[in-house]
Amino acid sequence: MNLFRSEEHARRWSQFNPRSEEGFISLPELAGFFGTETRHHMLDANYLSAWFPKRAAERRAFLEQIGKASPFWLGTPSPP
Amino acid sequence: MADPRLMDQAFQRLMRSLVESGRALHYAELSKEMGCSVEEGRQLLLAVMQAYPIGWLHPDTDYIASFPPLNSLPTQYRVTVHGEQKWFAQCGFEATSVTWLFPGTSVRVEAPCLDCGERMVVEMRDGSLVTVDPPGIVGHLNYGFGPSRGRPPFL
Repeated sequence: MNLFRSEEHARRWSQFNPRSEEGFISLPELAGFFGTETRHHMLDANYLSAWFPKRAAERRAFLEQIGKASPFWLGTPSPP
Repeated sequence: MADPRLMDQAFQRLMRSLVESGRALHYAELSKEMGCSVEEGRQLLLAVMQAYPIGWLHPDTDYIASFPPLNSLPTQYRVTVHGEQKWFAQCGFEATSVTWLFPGTSVRVEAPCLDCGERMVVEMRDGSLVTVDPPGIVGHLNYGFGPSRGRPPFL
């Protein structure tokens, strides 16, 4: 879950996983992915009980919206 | 399971301690703030970390290493606010979320590229990208999300 100067830099990284070609995300999309509604409430008094539990559904919805609905991104089992 | 209200309070104190000082409270400090015994504070910390599994303790300790989006343990993602660099983001992805901990303020993240070591800068304010240098910076997920993700969790 790193930032790189470009996709080419990521591919040259010594620990690059060849199975992670679909693991790229643009910076604006990343800012959106990690800027969904629950993230705005991390300092709220009830964040842990009221907001954090909503995070997974929110993340999934955002990923589907930007076309990253694969098991790799959604964390769902890969098809047999 | 600890009282959910106490867990909310403990979570907020832990997060705010990171925002204010750049490091997470030790459980003995947390217990003092919560007005409970040190051992109750330790148990409360463990309960919070269990309920917030995207963070973690340093192995074999009760020390908070990661409490995303920030890290108590230094990472390459250095965060500067008001000209002061005393925070670290958990990872490159969480780095884009730190902005929400400092509303109305510019948050600058600097990190070396893991390929070439050259500097990257991402500056955000209230969720908006203000500076991206170089302009082609991308995020990369090296292992898919989910239970099969394995370790290390920050790649």
